[in-house]
Amino acid sequence: MQAGSSISTRSQIWKGIQPLAGLVFIYLVFAIASATFRTLDTAQTILTQAVILGTLAAGPTIVLISGGLDLSIGSLFVLVAVVIGLLLNAHVPIALVVVLSLLVGALCGTLNGAITVGTGIPAFIGTLGMMKVYRGIAELLGANQDMSKFPASFQAIGAGYLIPISIMVVSFILVYVFLSRTRLGYNCYAIGGSNEVSRLAGVPVKKYYLVYYTIGGLFAALSAIIQASRLNFTNSSWGNGMELDAIAAVIIGGTSLSGGVGGIGRTVIGVLIVTTLNTGLSHLGVSSSWQRISIGIVIVLAVWLDVVQRRRELGA
Amino acid sequence: MRRISTLAFGLVFLLCVAGLVFANGSGEKAGGTSGKITIAYTGYPGGLTPFWAQMTQYVKEAAVAEGVDLVDLSPTVADAAQQKDSVDNAINRGVQGIIIGAIDNRAFGESLKRAAAKKIVVVAVDTAIDDPQVTALAQTDNLASARVMGQYIVDNVPMKGKVLILGGTLGHQTGDARRDGVKQVLEANGYTVIFRACDWNDAKALETATNELQANPDIVAVFGCWDPGALAGLAAVKQRNLLGKVKVFGFDGLPAAFKSIKDGELSATIKQDNKQMAQVIVHSVVAQIKGQPGVKKLLIDGFVIDKSNVDKYLQ
Repeated sequence: MQAGSSISTRSQIWKGIQPLAGLVFIYLVFAIASATFRTLDTAQTILTQAVILGTLAAGPTIVLISGGLDLSIGSLFVLVAVVIGLLLNAHVPIALVVVLSLLVGALCGTLNGAITVGTGIPAFIGTLGMMKVYRGIAELLGANQDMSKFPASFQAIGAGYLIPISIMVVSFILVYVFLSRTRLGYNCYAIGGSNEVSRLAGVPVKKYYLVYYTIGGLFAALSAIIQASRLNFTNSSWGNGMELDAIAAVIIGGTSLSGGVGGIGRTVIGVLIVTTLNTGLSHLGVSSSWQRISIGIVIVLAVWLDVVQRRRELGA
Repeated sequence: MRRISTLAFGLVFLLCVAGLVFANGSGEKAGGTSGKITIAYTGYPGGLTPFWAQMTQYVKEAAVAEGVDLVDLSPTVADAAQQKDSVDNAINRGVQGIIIGAIDNRAFGESLKRAAAKKIVVVAVDTAIDDPQVTALAQTDNLASARVMGQYIVDNVPMKGKVLILGGTLGHQTGDARRDGVKQVLEANGYTVIFRACDWNDAKALETATNELQANPDIVAVFGCWDPGALAGLAAVKQRNLLGKVKVFGFDGLPAAFKSIKDGELSATIKQDNKQMAQVIVHSVVAQIKGQPGVKKLLIDGFVIDKSNVDKYLQ
């Protein structure tokens, strides 16, 4: 029994280390292969390029751990981006634009949660429907609107390295604290492990799901704010496939699609693996199509490892 | 488990090796350690429109002709954020020049400042980027060419009525110029113009054209600001059995548009000379890197292709 437990602990430690080891390995290979890759500039660029994906992926980390799924965050992202553009065009004060944008994101997230837990529709279908709804609203609101050339104070949010990277890091810290230091957070793992057992143990599962999806919407909105300020324009064609990119980064980091396992630290690693691969392959002159293929293979690999380990644990 | 992990790492390693194999030039070359100039190109995704697929090919051919290394960092999706990242990656890679065929001309501000700080020459092709760091531009004179198309529509659609313009992304320099050129001429001649932004998205153009033709039975012509959009508009016209009653016009001069003109469906398109654009801009960026004078602005006149001259351009 003791030997089995020791093997299980070792297995868990190794499982946690794998993505980090993978990241270090990938970084080292690129650093050896390309002199221009191993510079401070490139490291800063990797972190800056990770900001949008990282902030967006913070939400699905919580939702996936809880056993949920939100396919609408890419559309929610574009909806918030359009709202930002319209508000800025209307000369609404920047602070209010930020607050209202976050509010829109949070409300849409809550709606996703309500639809999922209130109707019993599978999260995949419910949020797939809302993905269409949010994109449609974004297209309606953004139709024939030139939303660009924003005030300098708004552009400052996404400018340079320091502010956007700081926002991403603070987001990660907040999610870490939420998951590890709050009742809502550690119940997230319990609900993801077994929804029914948690309910029987007195956990208000439905109420908690609303919070998890709301947080997901909030981070999608935050990500949209950073992108709008970074690019200095918005339009309703943004966000296509971003939900899948975010979910992929979370999974690559080692958070399980089946729920109950994961953490924001793993998401950080997953996001950095994706960004490092993209940047590194660019430095080697590899086309974007090959970059996509690489990320695809890494996703399959990550999920395969998860499946194999779960099987092994069940068999142990 | 260890075997699986070894396999996983092995696969990632293979990917990296594949990266080296498929690299157009190694990272060491950039920055000129081999003495050869390296430039980067990031254009609108070639997979989305044949115009840009041709442009990419022409840029590569021009780079070979100029004797420089070219790294193609074009994104595969029309995502302005990804294109901005590709410019940042080119800067870090230490290239001496960057050619941008912008997905959206408004996205690059901060990256261009970084390039200027590193004395990297940045030039634009097809779409102007309103920034002092961009030192050359080769593009079709979109406004003038669109005016030519506007006049062509006036001459060939004598019945005054509504004309639907299927546009690019609002605020995009190229799309706005094409819209404005056609619109100015049509409105001056008594036509009512309905403009709809379609974000250079063919599916959106089809949907928009279908809805507008249904809502406005008095539409007499459709102008697509890009050929695939015009062909989407043509599909909507055919779906509603309006071929012959509603004439469709495009802009780009792509082979598919020529075939449609030959078949008597699309009425006309504007031919853009993307080969000349590519040659001029590559020559300009290389000349500037060498400290020689290069073309700063080349506006190429587009011209109308219709049934009278399409055979000459059909391959």
